[in-house]
Amino acid sequence: MSKTKAGRRVVVTGLGVVTPIGTTVDEFWSSIRAGKSGVSELSGFPLEDLKILIAAQIKDFDHKARLKHFKRDRIITMADRYSWFAAAAADEAVRMAGIEMPLTDPYRSACIIGSGAGGLTTFETAYRDLFIHNKRATHPLTLLRIIGSAAAAHVGIEFGVKGPTFATCSACSTATHAIGLARDYIRDGVVDVAIAGASESVITYGTMKAWQALHVLSPQGCFPFAKKRNGTVLAEGAGILVLESYEHAKARGATILAELSGFGMASDSQDMVKPTVEGPSVAMQDALDDAGITAADIDYLNAHGTATTDNDINETKAIRNVFKQHAEKLAVSSTKSMTGHALGAGGGIEAVACIKAMQDGFVPATIGLDEAGEGCDLDYIPNVGREKKVTYAMSNSFAFGGLNAVLVFGPPPA
Amino acid sequence: MDEVATKIIEILRKHMKEQRDDIGLDTALTDLKIESLDLAMIVFDIEDGFGIEIPYNANEDVEDFKTVGSVVERVKSLMAAKAGSAAKA
Repeated sequence: MSKTKAGRRVVVTGLGVVTPIGTTVDEFWSSIRAGKSGVSELSGFPLEDLKILIAAQIKDFDHKARLKHFKRDRIITMADRYSWFAAAAADEAVRMAGIEMPLTDPYRSACIIGSGAGGLTTFETAYRDLFIHNKRATHPLTLLRIIGSAAAAHVGIEFGVKGPTFATCSACSTATHAIGLARDYIRDGVVDVAIAGASESVITYGTMKAWQALHVLSPQGCFPFAKKRNGTVLAEGAGILVLESYEHAKARGATILAELSGFGMASDSQDMVKPTVEGPSVAMQDALDDAGITAADIDYLNAHGTATTDNDINETKAIRNVFKQHAEKLAVSSTKSMTGHALGAGGGIEAVACIKAMQDGFVPATIGLDEAGEGCDLDYIPNVGREKKVTYAMSNSFAFGGLNAVLVFGPPPA
Repeated sequence: MDEVATKIIEILRKHMKEQRDDIGLDTALTDLKIESLDLAMIVFDIEDGFGIEIPYNANEDVEDFKTVGSVVERVKSLMAAKAGSAAKA
């Protein structure tokens, strides 16, 4: 990451999402416009003694229908659910980009698709089989389903990507790091095209127990920045972008959706769960510097906004720290109020929300915000989204361990 | 063809990418377009289906898996060995 805007310009030409409020970009965006919540009663497995009984699960995703046309990757439908989401989102993004894959020189493409946890659903099933049902062996595909690089590999195989292909892993900043790194590879001339983002699917009994034990899940709902907020709500999904060098996109006559103008990252290096104001502030400032713009140029900020007590106050302080006077006029919202917290995939889904906000001139709401919490004193676009011209948008991702990553999107280069 | 052979061919068919009807005991597995991952799943299904464990390493060229007939023979000998050790116990 450099602090100068050297190198090639990088643009976004494709978007893909799978979320609890829509399994395509169009469906997702109309739900966002409508202020729809994806949180529902937990289901799909025995709830046993669970105390948290809600989640933002995807209940209308038919992987066989969505992935049946895959040609090069013959076993995608036998992969873990997290790889299905990644494959479907990548497929949508590649189609939207209208780019022919594999590239003529397949080594000029990258596929960076991260996951906070990889194939945990498979993990849990396999261990239940071994430890509870005393099965003699796990299914032969178990290992290939579990590995955290499975989604990147599956998507890379399907689209014939022969350049850098790997996963990032930084909890809730995973997708943002993946997109940022892909941006750097294109900027620095390593590749011309990248499929980048993240996918997550960890809503199982075991994961719910683990999150429950950390006492950060809300039993009621995801209400970022609200007085009534009492934790986040686990979600699942994927958010993936197709990035290209500006020259490459222009040469093939692609529709450019936005420029990926800035990327900043910084680590708190202090505590696994207690965030600092400094880390997020530095990441935001770096992203602005990288984009060559000032805080006052940002029209919309998609906050990390997890609805935990600590994050929302801390993020508000960091935003004030960076945006100074402009913070009063800044439109800030947390789309997690609608999607829930898709962990590693969050930054990918939120990058799509930022670009749609720019395209559509509409700023998403923070739903469920009847009364702001103490220390939460920005314009969070409460309850109802707003028509607003968005030239530059920022997307924040702040993860456990203090791993901060920030993206800035700008208008297509003139 | 006996019951073991019929069941094994049924398992092979499940994992074949291109279906064909002329599978016999002398058909070579290499002619069935079965790749290493398919073989792992075939072994898994055979083990489950016959209640045996087939010692096999994907890194080695296994003589037992050259033809459909050699697989059938191997499975029969493993079943017999299992029955034998069960009788002793």
